[in-house]
Amino acid sequence: MVRLPYSKKKRYLTGIDWIVQGLDYLNRRATGGGNMFQVVMELDGVVAEDELREALGRISEKFPVVNGRVRRDYNLAPYWEMPSRTAKTALPLIVQHLQDDQDVFPFLERAANMPFGNQREHLAFHLIGSGGRSYAAVTFDHCLFDAHGAEAFLRMLEEEWGKKGPCTRESVPSEPPHLSEWRRKFEAGRQVNRAFLRLTKGAGARVLPLVSSTSKQGFRFRVIPFNEQQSKKIMERADREAGYLMATPYTMAVTAQILHSIFTERGVCSGDYIVPLTMDARQRGGVAGDVFFNHVSFFLFRIDGREVEDFSMLLKSIKKQMYEQVRAGLARHMVEASSLMRIVPLPILSYLIRVYLKGEAASFCFSFLGETGQMATSFMGKKVDRSYHMTRVPIPPGLGVFFQQSQGRLSAYLSYVESLLTEDEVNAIVEGLRLRLGG
Amino acid sequence: MAERSTEEIEEILIREVANILSMDPAAISADAPFHSLGMNSLAFVELLVVIEEMLDLKLMETDLRREDFQSAQSLALRISTMK
Repeated sequence: MVRLPYSKKKRYLTGIDWIVQGLDYLNRRATGGGNMFQVVMELDGVVAEDELREALGRISEKFPVVNGRVRRDYNLAPYWEMPSRTAKTALPLIVQHLQDDQDVFPFLERAANMPFGNQREHLAFHLIGSGGRSYAAVTFDHCLFDAHGAEAFLRMLEEEWGKKGPCTRESVPSEPPHLSEWRRKFEAGRQVNRAFLRLTKGAGARVLPLVSSTSKQGFRFRVIPFNEQQSKKIMERADREAGYLMATPYTMAVTAQILHSIFTERGVCSGDYIVPLTMDARQRGGVAGDVFFNHVSFFLFRIDGREVEDFSMLLKSIKKQMYEQVRAGLARHMVEASSLMRIVPLPILSYLIRVYLKGEAASFCFSFLGETGQMATSFMGKKVDRSYHMTRVPIPPGLGVFFQQSQGRLSAYLSYVESLLTEDEVNAIVEGLRLRLGG
Repeated sequence: MAERSTEEIEEILIREVANILSMDPAAISADAPFHSLGMNSLAFVELLVVIEEMLDLKLMETDLRREDFQSAQSLALRISTMK
């Protein structure tokens, strides 16, 4: 398709961007905070606050897209409006000194749940000092960044550190409004619809009941870090049991079994598990060329509630579904079909997302963020000892298990809306993942 | 499947891996493990689907053993034994 020279002040949103906006709307209504995620870097040393402020000022000037907002064009296509040249908005930075290391994680949890200040705020920085170490926590708005884009953005920020002199304003790659080839989009929509109907036929998804009002609640997180040796063993086990490069189905199967015992204990025993998997959909140029907005698509897995206890059958089923969805080009169809949804206003879109999936959407969210080589190994001149992703999951289901691989180390994350799980259930999930994977 | 030599299959594999990972084929060595090139589960399944269709094979249903599947070289060898 020919890319026309659209205004540099506009970047049209793709259908996937619009779906992410819909999930953001759902989360804001449910908890007050949007569809956000936080990346935390544990740093070997103390970061100078003034240097970070300077780098933030430069990055904000260089990439005005970070202060944009959503608008609708005369052709009804939603777009991202870039701020004017004269508008200067500082990226928020909160600095906190904590006496006790034990206070760091609760602070990070609070930071991950802090809503953005206004429509033009899509990033928030927290710099936490404790002892001789610091933690840089960056909250990203999912409407502007996906997980890989966030990692690439942090690398760009690191590159701005210590630079002097004038800063050149850079524009993001243009995106056309995609208001043509309707026939192809409708055909893609038909394929997606068929796939969804197959997945949601029969009883609804097994879900843990959400309390009716979650507005005062935030998300809680648990991080399960594995060291290099443990991570290597996990990958070897995944190779042996699921096959080469089958870590995603392997970890999904382990997660499903562990969560199954929690659901069963609660008496949630009817229906199957529906699990959406977010996947990177960048095609050309990798992450560096597409830092901003969402370049992802989704797969949906249906895990038979009667088969989940048989690990080898479960693994086989997940691999088969992954294979069939790749073969059918479902991820590509999803990208195409979602562009039809952009006409729908967000309140209606968020309603449709729930109705379409019988109000239950999914049992839990899952993703496996592989090694990209994009994550910065140093930040503001300090070595990054470890990085964490803390993701607020869409509500419903308000429950997610994620894996991330960086510098040869694997981390597992549990994310849940506050009232969804008891402390005992959380401990059982964390222990289950640790034992099953790390041994 | 039309008869193809192991070298030809290796070339096809390198070309498809480069396409999926948006890399220059010249930058992919035949014995480089796919995971070291940044390939993940989904990209790997995508490769298997393309190769299955092109060479009329069933790969996903096999045991996917690392030693057979981890590089263009080993996979080409494995495929030539399946002919």
